[in-house]
Amino acid sequence: MQPITLKGRRIVEGQCKAEALVSKKPISFLGGVDPADGKIIEKGHELCGECVKDKVLCFPHGHGSTVGSYVLYSLVKKNLAPKAIINQTADPVVVVGAIIANIPMIDQIDIKQIETGDLVEVNVCKGIVKISKRRES
Amino acid sequence: MHLTKEEERIYDGEFGWANQICMKILVRLGELFNATKLIPISSAHVSGVSYKTLGDAPIDFLEAIANAGVKTSVKATLNPHGIDKEYLCKKLSSDICKKQWQILEYFNKMGFKNSLTCTPYYLEKLGRGAHLAWAESSAVVYANSVIGAWTNREGGPSALAAAIIGKTPDYGVHKTENRQPKVLVNVETSLRNETEFGALGIFLGKILEDKIPVIQGLQGASQDHLKQLGASLASTGMVNMFYRNNRKVKVNELEKISVEKKDIRRAMEELTTTATQKPDLIFIGCPHCSLREIRQIADCIGTRKVKAETELWICTSHFTKEKAWKYTEKIEQSGAHIITDTCAVVTWTDKLGIKTIMTNSAKTAHYAPTLNKAETTLTPLKDCLETAFKG
Repeated sequence: MQPITLKGRRIVEGQCKAEALVSKKPISFLGGVDPADGKIIEKGHELCGECVKDKVLCFPHGHGSTVGSYVLYSLVKKNLAPKAIINQTADPVVVVGAIIANIPMIDQIDIKQIETGDLVEVNVCKGIVKISKRRES
Repeated sequence: MHLTKEEERIYDGEFGWANQICMKILVRLGELFNATKLIPISSAHVSGVSYKTLGDAPIDFLEAIANAGVKTSVKATLNPHGIDKEYLCKKLSSDICKKQWQILEYFNKMGFKNSLTCTPYYLEKLGRGAHLAWAESSAVVYANSVIGAWTNREGGPSALAAAIIGKTPDYGVHKTENRQPKVLVNVETSLRNETEFGALGIFLGKILEDKIPVIQGLQGASQDHLKQLGASLASTGMVNMFYRNNRKVKVNELEKISVEKKDIRRAMEELTTTATQKPDLIFIGCPHCSLREIRQIADCIGTRKVKAETELWICTSHFTKEKAWKYTEKIEQSGAHIITDTCAVVTWTDKLGIKTIMTNSAKTAHYAPTLNKAETTLTPLKDCLETAFKG
């Protein structure tokens, strides 16, 4: 099966290829992700217990306190950060977090086309995301 | 976004990593909200100073950016942190205090003043139309609505970046077209005290979304009343300013909302979760008290003494406390604590064993159940003081 290529808006330059971790729900980094181990800890969240480390983290947008931006920086310092961030619509908290942490980030991508486990190639300079499906659908 | 030659050089990293990060934050946020340029600001005010709300994660970043040698380029003030120098610092663990002083040291190294207040507008007179980058939501509404300055509701990191660069992207309420009212609110009941003004804000914040209101029926409102209204409006809503009745707008073209007595009463009731008459803490000073409020409290107390085993906190900035020394001495003689640099919401009340808080602040009553894990009673200043003093 051919990889799917989607075009988005460049937020933070960089490129990588890694496995996707997809959330249908927004993520709050303050209180929602544990800076000590990179695991999602928000109660009732669909990804609760999953670790964001080395994943291409896909979610609609962030929410919650602006202190959340600092959590992304802290994750990078501890080698627990995602390899890249893909959003449907970027919000200030995640954008600022990705800038200070220097995590490649792109938005205006239809994240419904990505499933957890897909292999995703992100090239922010070109503004594209290439998705190789984990399984034939 | 159009950048000047100098801004571009900062963006490209010619002035080092930390300046570059700050410039990138401003430019990317500007792009996100369709700003066309950066504009100079008169001051920046940073939130996210208390170790209680920050936690450990930001310390790494603050340390790195402070050690990179960047300096604030405009007047830059700080929100309250988690402790004071006289009372709470002796009650809380030394580990907590150590972390808090460390955070403050990083901000100071960058040139931030130790204002440690949510009311930076009492520190210095601001001009009408001054552009600011402020992050404390109650101060944002006050600046836009009462003072006539212009500021978006910044996040902690974007206000920090603006303080370093001395500029902010030109979007949101920095533009005249985004300061136009969309809703006419008619308050059909007279608001009797600061708490009812706060309750009005809580009620309106939930229904206004991002639509700027003209609020009619606020006759006789003092600046302190408007401070309560703005603080609670920002707690439940996204709107960053309001107008009062005296504005020349074509009211016929606005969507209309009326507020009745029962709406205010219901908002007050919803913010009261306990009926106890023996709260663990009685807290006045959210937002931080003005000089006028301190005087009013001193007058109301007279020569009475706070009854045994009752905690009464009056929170303000050390700046206002110094100016109000005549009154604060009198208040302290009553057994009440004048606490500066922090407040009940951003300190560790739970670690002090406080499970019930009585307050005249609708904003505190809104946040305390989650941020303090406390039950709340919302009632006007006079009742709060009566509870503290009656034997």
